[in-house]
Amino acid sequence: MKNVALALLVFVLAACSSEPAVFEGTTYGQPVSLTERTDISAIAHNPTEYLGKDVLVEGTIVEICTSMGCWMDIASDREFEKIQIKVEDGVIVFPVSAKGRQALVEGKVEELDQTVDQAKAHAKEMAEEKGVAFDSTAVFESTKIYRIRGVGAVIAE
Amino acid sequence: MAGRKKGFQWRRWNNLIHRDLGYLCVGLTVVFAISGIAVNHRADWNPNYDIQNTIEPLEQILDVEPGSSDFNKAVVDQLDFSGEIRGSFRQSPTEVDIFMEDITIKVDTENWEAAIESIKARPILRETNFLHLNEPKKWWTYMADVYAVSLLLLATTSMFMLKGRKGIKGRGKWLTLIGVAIPLVFLLIYF
Repeated sequence: MKNVALALLVFVLAACSSEPAVFEGTTYGQPVSLTERTDISAIAHNPTEYLGKDVLVEGTIVEICTSMGCWMDIASDREFEKIQIKVEDGVIVFPVSAKGRQALVEGKVEELDQTVDQAKAHAKEMAEEKGVAFDSTAVFESTKIYRIRGVGAVIAE
Repeated sequence: MAGRKKGFQWRRWNNLIHRDLGYLCVGLTVVFAISGIAVNHRADWNPNYDIQNTIEPLEQILDVEPGSSDFNKAVVDQLDFSGEIRGSFRQSPTEVDIFMEDITIKVDTENWEAAIESIKARPILRETNFLHLNEPKKWWTYMADVYAVSLLLLATTSMFMLKGRKGIKGRGKWLTLIGVAIPLVFLLIYF
């Protein structure tokens, strides 16, 4: 009896200390385990501070890869700002029908250091996946992109 | 009773397994084959969705803030759409994306144009791709493993179905060798 009570106490304490973020919806990939949300604006404002760190972000889905569902953009808490969530092809597939819905995403902040050619190739790939025309005459520069390598997400119904 | 003592009739069992497994695999093979062709050419088309893009002119909406619910409703009403507006996002001071079920309206408030993107799932292909690319995960993962093992069994048993000139000791060995050589040749060229 004493052992059962002790086990219950441990369970209750564990549940209180690491309760996952509450968010109703469909889970994609691993279940969300982090409890504290990070503002997307904070990551966008100072990305190097978050580089390599696991974060939990929330926002409206504003773009989804229509080809393989392997990335989505979610809106920041700040106007005119968004962040890309990239997942491993085929491991997580975001449904295109989820555009406009709210999402909670867990993942690691990563940096893409792109050369001019890579930036051009990336823009071409994105245009193809979005189904829009690619402007091959546009001028590209080497750039750094910060995005989240997603491992799990919950998308509201 | 006089007669020849019968041993294990392996060829009979081989053919029986090949036949019944073949029947069982028909449905799965159709799913994987249709999706396989569709996904193989995804550089040329979207195998899951039919995406239509159109541009419509808009009358200026000046008395409300772009991205506000009144603004979004005014845009949707002008375009004669019905249904729930899920939300919106301001890409820039002059661009607002409005989200509805399978429709995204990209409003350009500089030129007062609406770029409408409507997405429709391709019937049959969306469902077969869903299974082929293992979107369901869970138990379907194991089902697909069972199917893969079944294909191995079908291939193996097919070699021993017939005796004689048409069997594996006759022309069967040449056809089998050609089948093995095909992926090897492509590996030599491209790998």
